[in-house]
Amino acid sequence: MSDVHLTIDGAAVSVPAGTTIFDAARMHGIPIPTLCHQQNETPVGVCRVCVVEAGGRVLSAACVRQAEDKMVVTTNSEKVTRARRTLIELLMADHPSPCARQRQSNDCELETLARLEGITQPRFPRRLSPRGQDNSSLVIAVDHEACILCDRCIRGCDEIRHNDVLGRRGKGFWAGIAFDYNLPMGNSSCVSCGECMVSCPTGALTNKSVVKTVLPGEPVDVEELQQLSYFQKVSGTFLELNKNAVVRRHYRKGEIVCREGEYGSTAFYILEGQAQVFLATPLAHVQTQGGATGFFSKLTSRLAGRQQERREEEGARRSIPIDAPVDLPYDNPVATLGPGDLFGEMTCMSLYPRSATVRAATDCVMFEMLRNVLDIIQRNKTLKAQLDANYRKRALDDHLRSVPMFASLTPEFIDVLRNKVELVRHTKGDVICRQGDIADSFYLVRLGFVKVSEPHPGGELVLAYLGRGGYFGEIGLLGEGRRTATCTALDHVELVRIHAEEFHQMVEQFPDVRQNLERLAYERTEQNRQRLATATSMPLDDFLTQGLMEAQSLLVMDLERCTRCDACVRACADAHEGVTRLVREGQRFDKYLVATSCRHCRDPLCMVGCPVGSIRRRNSLEVIIENWCIGCGLCAKNCPYGNINLHPFNVLEDDPANPGRQIAVVKQKATSCDLCTEHAEPTCVYACPHDACHRVDPNEFFRWLGTPLETETRRSLT
Amino acid sequence: MRIDKTHRGWVIAATVLAAVSTILYILYAVQSPSGPRGGSAIGLTFGITGYALMLYAGLIGARKKVPTWRIGRAQTWMRGHIWLGTLSLLLILYHGGFAFRGALTAVLMILFFIVILSGWVGALIQHFVPTLMTERVPMETIYEEIPHVRAQLREEADKLVSSVCGPMDTEAIADEPAAAVTTLVEIEQEDRARFRDIYLRRVRPYLADPEAPRAELADATRAREVFESLRRLLVTPVHAVLDDLENICEEERQMNRQIGIYRWLHGWLLVHVPLSIALLVLGGVHAIMALRY
Repeated sequence: MSDVHLTIDGAAVSVPAGTTIFDAARMHGIPIPTLCHQQNETPVGVCRVCVVEAGGRVLSAACVRQAEDKMVVTTNSEKVTRARRTLIELLMADHPSPCARQRQSNDCELETLARLEGITQPRFPRRLSPRGQDNSSLVIAVDHEACILCDRCIRGCDEIRHNDVLGRRGKGFWAGIAFDYNLPMGNSSCVSCGECMVSCPTGALTNKSVVKTVLPGEPVDVEELQQLSYFQKVSGTFLELNKNAVVRRHYRKGEIVCREGEYGSTAFYILEGQAQVFLATPLAHVQTQGGATGFFSKLTSRLAGRQQERREEEGARRSIPIDAPVDLPYDNPVATLGPGDLFGEMTCMSLYPRSATVRAATDCVMFEMLRNVLDIIQRNKTLKAQLDANYRKRALDDHLRSVPMFASLTPEFIDVLRNKVELVRHTKGDVICRQGDIADSFYLVRLGFVKVSEPHPGGELVLAYLGRGGYFGEIGLLGEGRRTATCTALDHVELVRIHAEEFHQMVEQFPDVRQNLERLAYERTEQNRQRLATATSMPLDDFLTQGLMEAQSLLVMDLERCTRCDACVRACADAHEGVTRLVREGQRFDKYLVATSCRHCRDPLCMVGCPVGSIRRRNSLEVIIENWCIGCGLCAKNCPYGNINLHPFNVLEDDPANPGRQIAVVKQKATSCDLCTEHAEPTCVYACPHDACHRVDPNEFFRWLGTPLETETRRSLT
Repeated sequence: MRIDKTHRGWVIAATVLAAVSTILYILYAVQSPSGPRGGSAIGLTFGITGYALMLYAGLIGARKKVPTWRIGRAQTWMRGHIWLGTLSLLLILYHGGFAFRGALTAVLMILFFIVILSGWVGALIQHFVPTLMTERVPMETIYEEIPHVRAQLREEADKLVSSVCGPMDTEAIADEPAAAVTTLVEIEQEDRARFRDIYLRRVRPYLADPEAPRAELADATRAREVFESLRRLLVTPVHAVLDDLENICEEERQMNRQIGIYRWLHGWLLVHVPLSIALLVLGGVHAIMALRY
């Protein structure tokens, strides 16, 4: 290739033909300022800051104009500097100064240029309509206000990483960068590689710097991380910026990695060795005893396992869902995890308590990582494929069979499904399907919680919350082919998606599965219909806003009878070993107080987030807490009415300091009002000396509220 | 307990028993040559039955101590307590033939009348006062929690004022205007100092001791006037904080009211319960002495 000879700022230079003026100047040590141009990206000449005089009628953008033979270029004439200064002033008028990058590292390229040009106050007015921020990504903050539309991020995403996520949106005044079809960054197909962030010249795309604390453990070099397949596509700059967010941990055999019920914010990836995952809390529920058989026998609470008291529907239970790629077998809740297994995702992504205790079965090496790193590697196709393959291989079978109505699927059919199901992820707030959409899939919840709702004249009406092991989509597939409700991800949700074709194949091949699904679809439809009918027939706003329409049973106190003697509270405490499940406070309706006591809601919020899914509803709709409750207390926090308590018990546990010996430790179990099912009448009601305390069916009660009270009627409600 | 239609059965039963007892007593008094006497067979029957009813009435206290025992609903015991306890007075009067000689019996009868009277006063209080509490204390809280709630309200008020005036030492009334501080509500330094001073001098003392006699803000009308004058005195950005402070003072007043009503609801028991115990003990002593000597 022949050379061209030209003059730049009076200096004669020779460069190969096809070289741009910008590169020619750079090669000979002549600086030309620029914003939109980077060496590793195709020049586009959109910012025009690199304008030079090249002998033409107008100034040329040096980054795109090719050098020509005998060309005379001036990079710093008065005309050039005036034009450049005006351009920078115009850009600064649209730029929040100091932007996030300038604040963080004092190196916003635009503000640096403005400072060099001595621009403090731009002559031009600022735009009035804000362009907004996007904080949906865990790792990158997007400030559209600071974006100068240089397209460096777009070229970084498309040309360098080939992710093709970023592009332009809008035109003229409304132009901006967009992720996919203008989705929030966190909801887009962005893999959080960080290339856009490191390409951005301003504070429009910045690292969120979520890593304020240093995790205990051995820091991992970026180079070392990038040698691992699942970190290979992650930007080195991003890893450098977040180097405290992933550490290597060494665990000796027998050492505890994490304990159930603890709140954490990290996930673990096993590099070497094996870990044992188990439940240390006794598999038992709180049982109230005594009282029913004799006049004077006192009620006591004790822990009762499945052997002592088998509760409704418990016989079908085969496994306990935990935050790991495997479920725990019910009869022996212990499992082993090995290299390549990731656990603690729910804790890390949604800050739920740990669902199980993990102990090193051999000497182990693990990566412990924070949410931003987990998010990035989960978006990494290599690792995602590896984790999904692990799940298909080891957990899908158990997961499908943990749903009682799928228990009859044959291993052959599960093998067919194994390769056909799709594993999909949704971030918080994603609408998985909308009411009225074509029903094209059946979903099984693998991780997180899904809200099922319907629009309602008074607002959204929640029909159900589905956690791990829950499923939806069968009504549409078995019925009219349209979704009957809207399903939304409440947090980080992972689903097993069975497409309509496989679903229909399954229900044709297994008539009992079809029969069960049809029965369930009918029951759900009927329940939803009744709930909607109740909601629309109740004129009381508070009845709806307080969630009382959700209640199965309310403890109400007639305040014109109640002398505030608290006999009910004392009686409840007396019946439950000093732990009252009733507080004489709550919402008032007319002269009635709806006391704080479990309402056995139809859609209990307490179930949302239970890391082991141990709250369920009996067929009688009573909310009960399962044997595998780990006592983390999240349900007590989630109950909007403060109606769940934690009951402490002393249990014996292996003493880590003295192998072979046991020590007494306090373990908690969640409890809620059990309606004193041992008795014909709840103790609080029985012990009220003033006929003020009553258990009522809320629908009956509120329907009749406002009409004169007749004691006989009231008594019939209790 | 509210005396209403649910007591009908007990009222009828007690009335029938009272009528039967009265007929018996009249027949006995007319036929007895030396007049009715407690030591006679019928007199003793009246006395034993009356004392048994008194004992039953007294057992309600023990019943409340064992709320989980399935020995009858507490409300049934309470109805029996009221009506059979009242009936016992009539039976004891018939037992003594309306003549109570001797110091012990005189004391017993005085006690008895006081106990029955205090019981009925209590029943009437519990009939009417819960309604009063419900109407007059819409922000009612659990009685035992009142000190805790008050502490929270004080803290909330301090925070509200701090949002305008910046951090302050609530232990001492500061005379100096607040220094330059970071606040959520931007007002002039002078207004800030004035508001701080008013809060520390007029509102905070009431929140520190809301039960103090003759406290300015304890009276709703006066409090309204005070806050109206403060609104005129202080700049508009502070008015929202003043509204919140006024609500806090109202809550304090409601708690004062609740304490007062609660004392009415349960105060009578301080007379009724100890005298009932004394009555039962002395009644037992009287029975032993009368039968033995």
